[in-house]
Amino acid sequence: MRKKIIYSAVFFLFTICVEGNCFSQEYFTKNGRISFFSKATLENITADNNQAISLLNTQTGELRFHVLINAFHFPKAMMEQHFNTDYMESEKYPSSKFKGTIAEINKVDFSKDGSYKVNVNGSLEIHGASKNITGVGAISIKDGKLSATSVFKIILKDYNIDIPSIVINNISQQIEIIVSCQYEKRMSN
Amino acid sequence: METRPIKNTILIFVALVVIALITGYTLWNKPHMDIRETEAIETNAVNLYKIFITDSTEAKTTYVNKVLNVFGIVKSVSVNQEHQQIILLKTSEPDASVNCTMEGNAVGIRVGDQVLLKGLCVGYSGGEADMGLPGDVFLVRCYRFT
Repeated sequence: MRKKIIYSAVFFLFTICVEGNCFSQEYFTKNGRISFFSKATLENITADNNQAISLLNTQTGELRFHVLINAFHFPKAMMEQHFNTDYMESEKYPSSKFKGTIAEINKVDFSKDGSYKVNVNGSLEIHGASKNITGVGAISIKDGKLSATSVFKIILKDYNIDIPSIVINNISQQIEIIVSCQYEKRMSN
Repeated sequence: METRPIKNTILIFVALVVIALITGYTLWNKPHMDIRETEAIETNAVNLYKIFITDSTEAKTTYVNKVLNVFGIVKSVSVNQEHQQIILLKTSEPDASVNCTMEGNAVGIRVGDQVLLKGLCVGYSGGEADMGLPGDVFLVRCYRFT
């Protein structure tokens, strides 16, 4: 009888843990930073977005991003307008997503301070088009706080982003994306 | 004697080119909209979040890319990597907020304060539904009014 109660209690706790995902270690941010840079003949193009949502599971290495396109802020209003209407069509494609994995996440020791180079791969969706990408990033742990950075390049053609012929020689086909996030631990699921 | 009409044509052409260059330069360097001087739609954080969840089409038409005055209760105050203040306003969903990035940092703002923030609504970012992380409604370039 006693054994039966113990078994039932263990089973009950196990069920709660699996249902509630209490074994997982999830970190998130809703104010991650994504910037991009493009070299142009007349004027270099840069923009920042500090509203990226990202979720990182430190057990499985699963990494996700969700970014609102119209939250990219440019130094010039006209650049921002062209970016949203002519290039990214942000009304039609309001967000960009990444769903991927950090390879060999078990090599990162999240319990002590340090910096680790990691490889990331996954599917990046921009302008309604998805493409598998791989990149290199860094995970840092300092005073128990987790941050991640990565720099990679994309080709506009891969995402069906057309550059008007009048400015095609002034804008680079390759854009550099800079990612920087400071994560906080999810306390509940 | 026929040089005068040619001279005039050249002068008109040059004047048109100069006007076109000045117009182009002015438009290219046009400043961003001044949020403080722009007419705003009044709402509160709870209702704003609710409409994005229940009727996203209506929410997008009414609020996205519009300047809003949002009344709400402060859930948290933090600073992002750019040293901009981030003020989260409470919604009916515990893990979701109206997420406001401040243009000028508000002094003395504390958790639990009732505030009126004016900013540009860029929409709802979906979070990760299958992983249980609800999204936020985002306002950028915000100013505190009360």
